[in-house]
Amino acid sequence: MIEALFFYVFSTVLVLSAMMVISAKNPVHAVLYLILSFFNAAGLFVMLGAELIAMILVIVYVGAVAVLFLFVVMMLDIDFTRLRDEAQKHAMVGAITGGVLLGELAWVYSQWMGARDALARAAQTAPQATKGLTNAHALGQLLYTHYAYLFQVSGLILLVAMIGAITLTLRSRPGVRKQVISHQLDRNPADVVKIEKIETGAGVS
Amino acid sequence: MTEFIAPAFSPAYPEIFLAIMAMILLMLGVSTDKEDYRSISRFSILSLIAVGMVVIRLYEGGVTTFGGMFVVDGFSSFMKVLVLFGAAVSIGMATRYARRERIMRFEYPVLILFSTLGMMLMISANDLMALYMGLELQSLPLYVLAAMQRDSVRSTEAGLKYFILGALSSGILLYGMSLLYGYTGTTQFAGLAAAFESFSHGGVPLGVMTGMVLLMCGMAFKISAVPFHMWTPDVYEGSPTSVTAFFAIVPKIAALALMARILTGPFGNMVLHWQQVIILLSVASMVLGAVAAIGQRNIKRMLAYSSIGHMGYALSGLCAANQTGVQAVLVYAAIYMVMSMGAFAFVLMMKRKDRMVEDIYDLSGLSKTQPMMALGMAVIMFSMAGIPPLAGFFGKLYIFQAVVNAQLYMLAVIGVLSSVVAAYYYLRVIKVMYFDAEDEALDAQEDRGLNLVMMLSSLSLVTFILVPAPLITAARLAAETLLR
Amino acid sequence: MAELWTMYGMPLAIIVGKILLIVGPLLGAMAYLTYAERKVMAAMQMRQGPMVVGPFGLLQPLADGLKLLGKETIIPSGANKFVFVLAPMLTFALSLVAWAVIPVNAGWVLADINVGILYLFAISSLGVYGILMAGWASNSRYAFLGGLRSAAQMVSYEVSIGLVIVTVLLATGSLNLTEIVMAERPLWVTALLFPMFVIFVISALAETNRAPFDLPEGESELVGGYNVEYSSMTFALFFLGEYMNMILMAAMTTILFLGGWRVPFDIAFLEFVPGFVWFAAKVAFVLFIFLWSRATLPRYRYDQLMRLGWKVFLPFSLLWVLVVAGALIYGGGLPPATVEVIHVIP
Repeated sequence: MIEALFFYVFSTVLVLSAMMVISAKNPVHAVLYLILSFFNAAGLFVMLGAELIAMILVIVYVGAVAVLFLFVVMMLDIDFTRLRDEAQKHAMVGAITGGVLLGELAWVYSQWMGARDALARAAQTAPQATKGLTNAHALGQLLYTHYAYLFQVSGLILLVAMIGAITLTLRSRPGVRKQVISHQLDRNPADVVKIEKIETGAGVS
Repeated sequence: MTEFIAPAFSPAYPEIFLAIMAMILLMLGVSTDKEDYRSISRFSILSLIAVGMVVIRLYEGGVTTFGGMFVVDGFSSFMKVLVLFGAAVSIGMATRYARRERIMRFEYPVLILFSTLGMMLMISANDLMALYMGLELQSLPLYVLAAMQRDSVRSTEAGLKYFILGALSSGILLYGMSLLYGYTGTTQFAGLAAAFESFSHGGVPLGVMTGMVLLMCGMAFKISAVPFHMWTPDVYEGSPTSVTAFFAIVPKIAALALMARILTGPFGNMVLHWQQVIILLSVASMVLGAVAAIGQRNIKRMLAYSSIGHMGYALSGLCAANQTGVQAVLVYAAIYMVMSMGAFAFVLMMKRKDRMVEDIYDLSGLSKTQPMMALGMAVIMFSMAGIPPLAGFFGKLYIFQAVVNAQLYMLAVIGVLSSVVAAYYYLRVIKVMYFDAEDEALDAQEDRGLNLVMMLSSLSLVTFILVPAPLITAARLAAETLLR
Repeated sequence: MAELWTMYGMPLAIIVGKILLIVGPLLGAMAYLTYAERKVMAAMQMRQGPMVVGPFGLLQPLADGLKLLGKETIIPSGANKFVFVLAPMLTFALSLVAWAVIPVNAGWVLADINVGILYLFAISSLGVYGILMAGWASNSRYAFLGGLRSAAQMVSYEVSIGLVIVTVLLATGSLNLTEIVMAERPLWVTALLFPMFVIFVISALAETNRAPFDLPEGESELVGGYNVEYSSMTFALFFLGEYMNMILMAAMTTILFLGGWRVPFDIAFLEFVPGFVWFAAKVAFVLFIFLWSRATLPRYRYDQLMRLGWKVFLPFSLLWVLVVAGALIYGGGLPPATVEVIHVIP
């Protein structure tokens, strides 16, 4: 009973906050709602027994991605009401297209049937449940053996994304004096400071 | 713990080598003080050629590895050699241009290497997930390359447009994949084919149908088939020309290979169902490619529409869904690649008073001022239009033969008609070059490499009729392994 | 009705009791941490510190708390009211919920979950929201700058903290905090982990916005940083949250590197001392390091801070993950497999 209760709480809040993400007037609020919906999704994962994925969701999406999102949105100076008015010009077309797509999807899913052995085939790749098997063990076993190829390729994709971000944004600005700590440490008082005994009233030449 | 058995790495040696080379070159580029574009691009060309040799050397029929996610067969070797060749040539073509336009950064060849790697993975994909990974690895560098000239608004716009639409198409593709997985419980091509075995005569469930159509939409975006072509003209026009050359020459070949593998592999039993979709895409692309290019003055935009049209012809070869069809597609892809290499080498040479020009009417009277250049371009344009006895004609001939053999007469008729329409704008370029009043002359060519590429391209288009056997045989062998 | 009580009421009451048992001492510890800070800094600067309220100024924290409670809460007119009030509550709540998984003695833990260390990492990475929201909602430039600085800083140092955690996990083979404490480590593995301990403590300073990484507050340039507009209870919640986070980070250090509640170096005759005392002593030691560095080190400049995080800690900890993994594999220090994973690839 408690589980059902939590399920409904999580899913209701998830759906509502997801709707608020796209309808909130203030973009910062929208991002905050997005975070809330991430949290509820993580809660649903915990209820499924996928605790590792839940934590990764929070760490990666809430802890890192959404922070940067919020960062950017807070610094943006865009008149969102004007943007919205622009978008509302096409609201009718959008609504019709969306409605048709939704109808089609509903039609597809109402007639949904899977292949007879689909479940068995999908279960083939999963490790067998043994006593004390944790999420981390099971996922690690799968990810680093059977799917090692995909794992490596995703690494390459991320590398490319990094190269791209750096290529498109890094500019070397001339005239910036960077701190070079070794230079600072190498500086020797004897080379740069001159101590002179000045006669009274004579001044330095 | 169960003992972990390492997968066989040998089928993937070319890919592993290319990945390592790309990373080494990246580190070299980062650590050398002045950004040493020249040597990096030379090394990348060398490594692409080396990988190509390894691909040919390692040629074996039908091996899978990495738990069946990666397949190497004659088809993949053929396509990989094409892709590697195209990538190497387009890096070589870019050198001078990059220096002039100040996009001479070492990341440029490195990104092309990564993109090529993605294409190779795509060609060898034997699993939906591997397909998606290869596709992303292929397209991510392309987005960056399109926006490479970051001081130019057009280039940035091209990159952004390409990125947003590309992300959308990836989303559509993934949604289709998820539907297919939901139906079958597997992502492997072999498993999918087994699950779809019973569909050979109608009765495909709606979910599978939707998944398949969405998957094809995603791939049609990558080869810019109508109605998923909208990005092509803008991206071609906005990107730096050397990047556009790469876009036109290589990625489409890889995407075409992927499409051929998927349609004949897992969906091999559903020909009747996907055939209508492909016919629609093909007819729309051929017609739009022919009609929309007529109004273009910008030569890059014109070539963009022309590439849309060419993809339409290639797709109609796929509609035949048999070995001759696939063979025709392979031959067509190879010829298309050679033609666009030549055409873009020409565009890269178009400059006046040291500034790039892109208008077709800048070429007025080129035959008087630069006779060799005009002659080379004329041959390429004739070939693109499909005038016998040039290679482009034979490419189309094989395609239409296959289409007629498959009794798709309407498709063949539309194809021929649209190629007649398309001939108008190809011939217009020739007319401008040969019969229009002499304009201010274009600069003399100092880039021998580009000249060489264009000359070799037009020469091979002319001589194809004399020695067609190597390409035809290779394509036949490749098509045989795919449809076994 | 009785059934309802035994099924839901009793467990609920027990859990609430446990929570109170954790939160109560924690708040006390936090109060006296502020006192300790002032005393330690005073001693290092040859002063006396608080001496007026109570003997040796021992009642000073209570007096401070009462004073803050009695003040008026001021909400700036241009502020986004909801977010403005939410931010301090979030900060405080987050600093408390993390304690649910911290084992202070063998079995003395509210929720002994499998992914304890990830939970801690997740919660500590959320701390940035309170600050970012406060900075934005205050509608003040100083506060906003403080919020942005702190967001960038915390996200940067989280990366190296994550890698440090990975190295410790390599040596223990479990994500469960109790198992991490109980894992037997050979001496050479401990020695190998020492550089990571140093990185972790420094990153913890940055993560909690403590000196020498207290740029988000930076009173000399930003007046008070993100909490410039806060007063009374809302300010007190930020203050509480900051010190609670310090204790949390110290507890994490204790669990990951200092052996939790276990007797130091397994000296047999010290075993009569209960585990939680050792735990508290070790936490106090780490906290002393925190205070010590505040009294000793000047504040980092912003570019220096970023340089340290991204160009020193990140490459080094990446390298060290490799070194530790290699050493564990070839030196035979890998933790024994606790479960058997049966997996046949089709």
